[in-house]
Amino acid sequence: MSTSQYDLVIIGSGPAGATTARFAAEQGLKVLLVDKRQELGAPIQCSGAVSRHALEEVGVAPEEEFIHEPIYGFGIYNEKGEKKTIDYRQLKAEEYGQEEGKKPLGYVVDRRRFDRYLMTQAERAGVEVWLKTEGLSYQPNNDGSCDVYLRRFNQAITARARVLVGADGLQSQVGKWANLRTHIKITELASCLQFIVDQVETDGLLEIITGHEWAPGGYAWVFPKGHGYAEIGLGVIPTMTDKNAQWHLDQFIKHSFFKERFRNSRILEIQGGGVPLASPLRTQYADNLILVGDAARHVNPITGGGIHTALSGGAIAGNFLADFLNQGRQPTAANLKAYQDGWLEEIGNKMWQLYEVKTDIFRTHDIRQRDALLFQTMSGYFSPHSEYKKI
Amino acid sequence: MSKKEPVIFDIGWNACINCGACVAICPKEAGFISAFDTIAVGRPCDIACLLCEDICPVSTITHKAA
Ligand SMILES: Cc1cc2nc3c(=O)[nH]c(=O)nc-3n(C[C@H](O)[C@H](O)[C@H](O)COP(=O)(O)OP(=O)(O)OC[C@H]3O[C@@H](n4cnc5c(N)ncnc54)[C@H](O)[C@@H]3O)c2cc1C
Ligand code: SF4
Ligand code: SF4
Repeated sequence: MSTSQYDLVIIGSGPAGATTARFAAEQGLKVLLVDKRQELGAPIQCSGAVSRHALEEVGVAPEEEFIHEPIYGFGIYNEKGEKKTIDYRQLKAEEYGQEEGKKPLGYVVDRRRFDRYLMTQAERAGVEVWLKTEGLSYQPNNDGSCDVYLRRFNQAITARARVLVGADGLQSQVGKWANLRTHIKITELASCLQFIVDQVETDGLLEIITGHEWAPGGYAWVFPKGHGYAEIGLGVIPTMTDKNAQWHLDQFIKHSFFKERFRNSRILEIQGGGVPLASPLRTQYADNLILVGDAARHVNPITGGGIHTALSGGAIAGNFLADFLNQGRQPTAANLKAYQDGWLEEIGNKMWQLYEVKTDIFRTHDIRQRDALLFQTMSGYFSPHSEYKKI
Repeated sequence: MSKKEPVIFDIGWNACINCGACVAICPKEAGFISAFDTIAVGRPCDIACLLCEDICPVSTITHKAA
């Protein structure tokens, strides 16, 4: 069968892939965006918390279509339940709040609707999108292009591209196709489980519960989910416990200082996933190929948040590739290194610093000392004066 | 270090929440994935590090010798 030609073929239409696609297409590139799923974002493997700033930065309007609930700050708890409140409705009352003329700090989004919205924006910018299309492998050609092998509704298709973008998330295979070192250490991947529940009250804050007793190696959380629902979840590092995330979540719900609050909770949905508390990949490019988002481990190593970094990484990748290809440059690994250099300068170097902070915490063997450090770091991280606010 | 014996996995689909964590941690070459986006079942894994079992939030992966 004939081979279609594109400037970019992008594998994966999560926040990273859809944003890369939109920025590239807006600057004239011919882009094919593929995703193997039938419904983007489903099954949900994310809590959906994202700052308003992260959306604004990439020109995404906060549409009702995908917002579960606006957020105004944080409640950080230590292992005993002592709380540090960082409520921007109080800290900066003139700016943040529900009232007319004021705004939220961020949102909890529905990833099914959010990812579909981002894909739609890409499509409207001229991107060709194929769902139910799985990326299988790629092969660089002698003429500077590459062939990308796809399967779409059981049909084998080859698409020719100048650059292949791996935006295929944490389970990324694209990096492996190019023999990049993508392996995550078991000490740096949190095993997460979360329940969407009814009958648990929240107050516009993202609540984060630290402490080895509740979530060894990670933390627990309670997020507002809109419509009066909440999400209770946690992530644990498997080498720091001999129980699984399910056991820890059960303990947290039934035996923590929140047990009264959770007493009448009813489970409406069950979700989970792996969250890397790891460094970015050291090499995020190869001949005809770059990685972006979770696939490149563009994830905040302290919070595990990756939507903001996927969106901003997508914008960086889209802008870079548009400039690069519009100048007629050859997409060799050596030339594509400039993508990673630019990304490091804009956000990556700060992520490396956060990784050092996180590593220092978990290098502390004494549990009480480690708990105290994590609580202190989380509280500082979300404060209005945090130097890392923009990640 | 002695080389591990190959293993073959069974996944209790009733408990699997399709979270993808097992694929994320797996160091095997590209494509060792089942039709349900978990690590592959029904074909042997010669690395046998069992990290996939360790990361599973609901402990629904088990193995036997291949
Ligand atoms: C339990 C949990 C809670 C989280 N909570 C938050 C949070 O509150 N806030 C936050 O900022 N981050 C959170 N994260 C992290 C966040 O979900 C990720 O960082 C984010 O989704 C990364 O976006 P992405 O576009 O890189 O990848 P993804 O969103 O994973 O998208 C990858 C896409 O690629 C597709 N794909 C994969 N392989 C192929 C293939 N071979 N062919 C075609 N398509 C393919 C997939 O179907 C998917 O649509 C959480 C993660 C987990 C696991
Ligand atoms: S044992 Fe290790 S290599 Fe084999 S499937 Fe599990 S994680 Fe992958
Ligand atoms: S880690 Fe467990 S629950 Fe998650 S996809 Fe794999 S088998 Fe299913």
